[in-house]
Amino acid sequence: MGWIGNGVHTGLPLALCLLVNQTCAQAPEPAAGPFYLTLHVAGGTGLVALGGGYRLARQRLEPELLVGYVPRRLSGSKPLAIFTLKTTYLPWSPRLGQSRWQATPVTLGAMINYTTGQQFFLTNNSAGNYRPGYYWWSSAVRLGLLAGTRVNYGGPHQQSTTAYAELSTNDLHLVSRLTNRSLRLVDILTLGGGLKRGF
Amino acid sequence: MRSFFRTPSVRALLPVAASLLLSSCDLLEFSPNDHRAPESERDLTAKNLAMLAQRPLPAGDTLRFVFTGDSQRFYDDAEDLVKSVNQQPGIQFMLVAGDISDFGFAREMRWINDDLRKLKVPYLTVVGNHDLVGNGRKAYEAIFGPRNYSFVYGDTKFIFVDTNGREYNFDGTAPDMTFVKRELADNSVRRHVIISHVPPQDEDFDPALSNSYVTALREDPRLVFELNGHRHAFSIGEVFGDGVTYINSSSFESRQYVVLTVWGDKQFRLKQVKF
Repeated sequence: MGWIGNGVHTGLPLALCLLVNQTCAQAPEPAAGPFYLTLHVAGGTGLVALGGGYRLARQRLEPELLVGYVPRRLSGSKPLAIFTLKTTYLPWSPRLGQSRWQATPVTLGAMINYTTGQQFFLTNNSAGNYRPGYYWWSSAVRLGLLAGTRVNYGGPHQQSTTAYAELSTNDLHLVSRLTNRSLRLVDILTLGGGLKRGF
Repeated sequence: MRSFFRTPSVRALLPVAASLLLSSCDLLEFSPNDHRAPESERDLTAKNLAMLAQRPLPAGDTLRFVFTGDSQRFYDDAEDLVKSVNQQPGIQFMLVAGDISDFGFAREMRWINDDLRKLKVPYLTVVGNHDLVGNGRKAYEAIFGPRNYSFVYGDTKFIFVDTNGREYNFDGTAPDMTFVKRELADNSVRRHVIISHVPPQDEDFDPALSNSYVTALREDPRLVFELNGHRHAFSIGEVFGDGVTYINSSSFESRQYVVLTVWGDKQFRLKQVKF
């Protein structure tokens, strides 16, 4: 969706722009430098996860690496680490009036993560005593999809702080949902959120 | 504001938002491999046994129970199974021969319990190989209970054994033959019934232990039959031709189960029910 539309889709985005952003016709200014640090909570990537990334595509794309921690109390055995590669896409981030606040009503993303621990296998061929394909999935690697929302505070040429929340699911939960009408969407969702600090 | 709530997309989202709020605790998943569950969904074996103890069977009375297995990601079928089992007259409990989950997640075990807790009778499970994948062993132990256990109902002892040898890389620990022999040696009851997931003739049973397991069963004069799952298909027969009857359960998606009626020393009748 462009900032200055000239096609059939012009009407609605432009109207929304005018409502929330008087400087709609300008290209969005960078809210901060391209690097950021992340503190993430829950969302299937650990009790807490720390990491960071680099903003791409005119601040629309946020790839990042997170390292999550699953304490003994949750794992039931040794503490686990979850390494997550995640990318969030920000389709539209209007500035709220003339303030330093910026909102991204909808964010979309995808992730892949690896959980440490001897009990998890990359493929069942690499562990134990199974014939190939005995278990078709990897218990150590999860793929995920997410949708969320966020607000961002910070003017141009300044450090910015972002707070976000997102709902996600993983490939295996999705398989369960897609093969069972009786499971509701909410049954397979996971809430996560966090803070990002640009620098 | 009123027109906002009339927007079709907003109206569609309202129930979603409401259910999100209601189940916000469930939404906080730190890892899909988190083994924990809320208190009401923990120790289900002990809770179901306590329910069973509330309705004791006088010694000498006929025993009747439903036998099925492998609920494994068949949640739609689980709902229909519960409706069907709830119409069976005179049954005392239901046995599920393992593979409660598909991926070994606590969330999956809780989904199955969401269906099976609607049974009018208690249900008891034995651990299956899928319940041991990843962190599944911890999840099964937290949500259901021990992998090896037994209980006495009326004058029958039911013995539950983890026979998923391949999950332990055939290390000689599953089945726990010390446990099996000790339980089968109990002569304070009239009958024994043994239930496990992987049958001893299966390639997933620890080959070093199958002979001693089969021998222990053959030498038990009180054993009525041995019950298994894993193969997703009903079968009954003397697999080893040694006088011991092995019954394999249907899986949930086969949409059938059996009702077993036991009386006398070792007499039983088997009824297949489709749903």
